[in-house]
Amino acid sequence: MDSRTALIRIFTFLGGIYFFFHFIVPESALEAIGIKDAHPGISNGFIVIGAMAIGLGIINLVAGHGSHVLFKRRGWVFSAVLLFSLITTLGVTTAQWLRNRAVSNELQRIYVIGEFANRILSDASDAKSPKSFSPTGELPKLEFRVQALAKYARAVLEEVGRVSLESRGDTDQQSVALREDLHNHQNLLVTDLDTVETASWESLSGSNKRFLERLSKHSSGYATAFSVIRRRDAERGFIPKLYTVLYTGIFENLGAAMFALLGVYIAAAAFRAFRVRSMESTLMMVAALVVMLGQISFGKWIYNDMPALRQWLLEIPNSAVFRAIRFGAAVAGLMLAIRMWFSIESKTSSEER
Amino acid sequence: MRFSHRYVYLLMIAVVAIPIVCGFSTKPARMISAERMYSVVENVSFAEGDIALVWLDFGPNTIAENGAQAEVLLEHLFRRRIPVLLLSQYPLSEGLLKTIPVKVANKLKLEMPEQEWKYGESWINGGYKPGSGNYIQSLVASSDISAFLGRDVLGMPIVHYPAFAKVTGVEKIKLVGEITGLTGVFDTIIQFFQKKGYRPTFVHGCTSITIPEAYIFLDSKQLHGLLEGIAGAAWYGELLQRSFPQSSHKDLLLTNTALGAAQIAIILLIVAGNVVSLYSWSKRRRD
Repeated sequence: MDSRTALIRIFTFLGGIYFFFHFIVPESALEAIGIKDAHPGISNGFIVIGAMAIGLGIINLVAGHGSHVLFKRRGWVFSAVLLFSLITTLGVTTAQWLRNRAVSNELQRIYVIGEFANRILSDASDAKSPKSFSPTGELPKLEFRVQALAKYARAVLEEVGRVSLESRGDTDQQSVALREDLHNHQNLLVTDLDTVETASWESLSGSNKRFLERLSKHSSGYATAFSVIRRRDAERGFIPKLYTVLYTGIFENLGAAMFALLGVYIAAAAFRAFRVRSMESTLMMVAALVVMLGQISFGKWIYNDMPALRQWLLEIPNSAVFRAIRFGAAVAGLMLAIRMWFSIESKTSSEER
Repeated sequence: MRFSHRYVYLLMIAVVAIPIVCGFSTKPARMISAERMYSVVENVSFAEGDIALVWLDFGPNTIAENGAQAEVLLEHLFRRRIPVLLLSQYPLSEGLLKTIPVKVANKLKLEMPEQEWKYGESWINGGYKPGSGNYIQSLVASSDISAFLGRDVLGMPIVHYPAFAKVTGVEKIKLVGEITGLTGVFDTIIQFFQKKGYRPTFVHGCTSITIPEAYIFLDSKQLHGLLEGIAGAAWYGELLQRSFPQSSHKDLLLTNTALGAAQIAIILLIVAGNVVSLYSWSKRRRD
């Protein structure tokens, strides 16, 4: 056994034993040894390793089909089409993701206004507790914080507001209404900021609290109105349209067509292969006929209680049989898991070499 | 007896196409498990901050069945104004996670122009989540689901959506829906989406192929409602129409009728195949 194989076997065994013990050891014991807190991190680690399979898949595809194209092996055109589709889809979805991310970052800047205002309010209601984000455990002065909030909000309105209120040549009724709505929200926010800036902030009085609450509420309304416009704008670009063509126009239809072929295969098989030759096949055919007739509109025309008969077949005999199959499969699965756990399932690729 | 497949293919195309082209639809057959599901979704109590989680684990290949099921389930949840978190364990469903809720929201908007169903309020799209069982276990163990999920597919922190900001522990998820044509996916959710003192209401939409397997969970009461293929979705649509007479599921009824016609054709082909076989056998015996 080479060192690589040994390493794989050790890790497989350790992974298996961890989950085995995590399942059977009582929760209190897991808590006592600190596994309970660490488990989400360990679990996420396994998810990350699983997600790497996607990357491995891409590498395999590019290596396998890339060599077909490079050396012009038989069927290289299909490999070229596959690689072209892969690159196009990756490019389009990445571009769309980046675009959405940019809009979300803009939106987050607006949300921070409300969060900041709420934080000032919550800190004031809990003034005695030390604040972990402050090195001294003390908060900056209220006046200073409110000034910072107002300054930040003005800057966001200046930058984000300018972008969002550009007309972009949209003259349809909905676009005009949306921009008008955004403009109204912006005006409310500006009025709130004027009030906040002119008020005295020596202490958080009842009226000052209301100012901040209003600012928080209006900033949230502004963010919502802004998001509707920006998402709408983002959906209208070339990339989203190309994505729609690729996914809805091509991929969805091809996928559905592939599966639809199953229908005609079943029909052909029904004529050629479904023969009543024994008691068992007769039973199977009768059951199939009842199940099919029980779930279609026309079944009721033949026998009124066809749906109920179908239901009985599925609930009673079918459930019993399927449980038996599942038990059998579970025992086989358990054996397979043990063999994998102890790495005795088959030779590894390096051993085969 | 030699018989070209082409005639069978042509027959099937004609049988499926005629009801759709002619716009002929019939009332769907009564599906008892879909009725149970309707009743469950209708009666689950949701307090403020509670949400429904719907897994759309299917791709374009089973969209005819699973797409219709997802639409009727989301329609029912949207009508009840229950915020829905959409997730998937199947990467190919990525586009459908975006388009299906929008289609349902637009349909409802058309029916009730004075009301709105918006992204971020009525639903959010958490996207594809790798890791299957491990991911579900981590999700269930999390004390703050919104923080655990982090961002939606648009890159927005989920805590910014008011309807989802209050989703702390998994207990806030009152209903879990799973629509899939895959095997092994639904079992994972049933197995892991629970913890001590918490087990949500489970509903499931499956393709006709996986119906027999789903029934064992329905029988054991681990599953509270089931949509069986297009037929289940069509009956669910019928139930929605009874409660909301203005709603329409014309396309679904047409598809269901076309499917019914195809199944009748298959039954006739089985009978014809057996008659031909019997005739050949008797002829051989005579000779």
